[in-house]
Amino acid sequence: MNIALDPSAISTAITRLADQIFLAADGNEVDLVGIRSRGDEVAERVYEILKEKGAKVRLGVLDISLYRDDYEHFSSNPTLQSSEIDFPVDGSHVVLVDDVIFTGRTIRAALDALFDYGRPAKVDLAVLIDRGHREIPIEPRFVGKSLETDRMDRVDVSLQKTDGKESVGIITQ
Amino acid sequence: MARKDFLDIVSLDRAEIIHLLDQAVPFKDLFTRSVKKVPALKGKTVLMLFYEPSTRTLSSFEVAAKRLSADVTIFDVPHSSVTKGESVRDTIDTLQAMRADYIVVRHRLSGQPAAIARQTNASVINAGDGAHAHPTQALLDAFTLREVHPQMEGRKVLIMGDILHSRVARSTSTILKKLGVEVAFCGPGSLVPQTRFRRFTNYEEAMKWGPDAVYLLRVQKERQDAPFYPSDREYHSVFGITEERLKRISDKGIYVMHPGPINRGVELCDAVLDYERCLISQQVENGIAARMAVLFGLKPGLENEIS
Amino acid sequence: MNLFLKGGEVATENEAPQRADVWIADGTIKAVEVMDAPKGARVVDCSGQIIMPGMFDAHVHFREPGQEKKETILDGTEAAINGGITGVVMMPNTSPSIDSPTVVKRVLDQGARCRIPVLTSACITVDRKGHEMAPIAGLKEAGILMLTDDGDAVPNAALLKRAMEYSTEFDMFFASHCEDPQLCGPRALNEGPVSYRLGIQGTPALAEEICMDRDIRLAHATGATLHIQHVSSEIGMETIRWWRDERGAKVSGEVSPHHLMFADEDIGDYNTHYKMNPPLRTREDNTALLQGLKEGVFRIIATDHAPHTGFEKSQAFVDAPNGITGLDTALVSLHDRFITTGEFGWDLIVKRYSAEPRRMMRLEVAEVAEGKPADLIVFDPNKETTFTKEFMKSKSSNTPFLNKTLKGSVEIVVLGDQILLER
Repeated sequence: MNIALDPSAISTAITRLADQIFLAADGNEVDLVGIRSRGDEVAERVYEILKEKGAKVRLGVLDISLYRDDYEHFSSNPTLQSSEIDFPVDGSHVVLVDDVIFTGRTIRAALDALFDYGRPAKVDLAVLIDRGHREIPIEPRFVGKSLETDRMDRVDVSLQKTDGKESVGIITQ
Repeated sequence: MARKDFLDIVSLDRAEIIHLLDQAVPFKDLFTRSVKKVPALKGKTVLMLFYEPSTRTLSSFEVAAKRLSADVTIFDVPHSSVTKGESVRDTIDTLQAMRADYIVVRHRLSGQPAAIARQTNASVINAGDGAHAHPTQALLDAFTLREVHPQMEGRKVLIMGDILHSRVARSTSTILKKLGVEVAFCGPGSLVPQTRFRRFTNYEEAMKWGPDAVYLLRVQKERQDAPFYPSDREYHSVFGITEERLKRISDKGIYVMHPGPINRGVELCDAVLDYERCLISQQVENGIAARMAVLFGLKPGLENEIS
Repeated sequence: MNLFLKGGEVATENEAPQRADVWIADGTIKAVEVMDAPKGARVVDCSGQIIMPGMFDAHVHFREPGQEKKETILDGTEAAINGGITGVVMMPNTSPSIDSPTVVKRVLDQGARCRIPVLTSACITVDRKGHEMAPIAGLKEAGILMLTDDGDAVPNAALLKRAMEYSTEFDMFFASHCEDPQLCGPRALNEGPVSYRLGIQGTPALAEEICMDRDIRLAHATGATLHIQHVSSEIGMETIRWWRDERGAKVSGEVSPHHLMFADEDIGDYNTHYKMNPPLRTREDNTALLQGLKEGVFRIIATDHAPHTGFEKSQAFVDAPNGITGLDTALVSLHDRFITTGEFGWDLIVKRYSAEPRRMMRLEVAEVAEGKPADLIVFDPNKETTFTKEFMKSKSSNTPFLNKTLKGSVEIVVLGDQILLER
């Protein structure tokens, strides 16, 4: 595995995301919604930075297991966790946060899930890593770091709270 | 957990039960949203095959399946008591041709869902068979009890009424035992068989045992071909929750549960329904979440173990 | 036929097997002793094998007439030969019931076409309905000795009492399937923890015991001779012992291999191969019945061979019919479970499964002895038998031994001048 980002590079990328979102919010309220799993941890860290900057920000977590279209590929269905969105999303400015964007299908499922909670005024997308190879027309507005990868490569993200260590690696097939 | 069918509680291990209870939590969370539906089972077909009339369980499964975006078909089967094996088998062949993914079965004969499960690749869910099992009821009961007593180990539940003919008593006592809950049965001597559980045939004695919850069963007169107690009135006075008994239950903060439908004036008096620790409507709501968790957790088309 | 069975051990009802060679010619046993092979005889090496009389099963259900898709008389007798059995007594619950000289004749004519003798019992009451007496004198004339409504008890004690009083004149005996019709419930399995777990109303042992006591009292009072069929519980067995030993009642008992070997807990998850009537009871009953067999409480072993089709047995447990096949498997399973473990010896098997049932039916006892008609089998205790559908000759395969491999093998069956089986 090639290490693409070390802990300090990850921190830098998260800070970069926070800065972009802060600018875009322009003093208005913004709701970060992290996608399980690891998107929630990225969102939480962005949230902490935005809080420090004095932004008006709320934090939620979205579990999209029930919205996936690839159950057939598993021997048993995924373990569910609750979504935690304690604020009404109707009319709000939501920033979906995920760790990696690849084909875009996860984000499509997340949009479906989000819209079942209500009707946000605006939805943006923030990702820690953009590794390319989109299969559907979904693009992030905020990107922490773009990586060059092959279609068959695997991008492995570990974050402190979820995995007990910090790294982003590329595994070449 | 990769399981084709959901037929009873006995064959589940503790870890599987806890997994299902945990899975039911996010489903219950959905009920507070404006859109209560998720696309998890989009394009799947759930067939309801009820050989015994049941409005409550049928509706609960129907709502659960629809909230998972499955297509639901209620297959009209005669409710006569003479439905023999031959016609059940023909029906299953028909359903197999319809390529149902899930078949929810209720039947008056113990073991019929298991026999059906052996004949089809669809996932078979037992919605109650004879006096054998009612595993989704057990799951929702355990879920409901866990909501009020998150620490279940060592809690005591007294199951009261017609234990002999009750599939609920069998499945719910089994799931509670697997979760570390102490279970005892109470009822008329003619309706409480000797089992591995503590047995009371006297209400006062049973209450001295100190239950955290009293689980009342419907006294199922329609299933009894011979009288097991003299009259409903006598049952109520000896084993029913009368207003006076409710007062003592309330003083001790004991929860009351019931699988429904209730027999007012037999196993309980009207006032029980207004008691703040009566969990009956909570059980109904949790039934949908528990059944969603079961539907979501099964894998139709898995290799049939028994050919 | 001129056959010399060399090197085997001969089993009798009175003692452990003794080393002896057996020479059979022209349907007669010419010699039983250690000797050289006679000139011209075909020599079969039987070293390490047991030579004993053919078994006799006094309780079988062949489904002819009426339900030939389960079993015909011909299939049934072939299954018997396959299991080392050279004589059977049919039960009368066919369709129509064997309750008249006409049906008796039809059954016996069919039986006469088979390779072993087929006897039949006949009903006590017309069509086993328990309402009116069957034509008992006519049945006697047609060759009937055993009267039974097997499959059900005679529910009306007064009627049974009168039938017993009436039959004394004709020197017949009664065989009772014991079961109180009110207490027995749906007749699916034993009442106890297993019936509770499976949610099916159980049949308590006392339903059988009460009826057994009733029938023995009636026989004792009327002077009738009574045989109690397929005893399944310890108290039932003790009931027979008490009446016989303490009161001198003319009563005998029968035990089936499955009631010695299996218990209700073997049903597991609704396995209909363990569904029979009387139902399997408990492990404690198994032990008690085995002890009773050793102590001579049971006069005979009989299979209650009851074939049913695969479809019938694939139904839900309550709907599936009661019964288990036994002729193909009985002898090998008794060897596997009890002889190899030292519970009892071959003498017990010969006595209880060959000699006594023939005496009960007033037949000449088959013996491996000089001058006797050839009616014998060779059993190899060191070989194994796998009871596949193909191996078993019964038309049905509703047995827990299906596809199981057991110790022992019936190698040769000789009856009269015929070798009926040679593997």
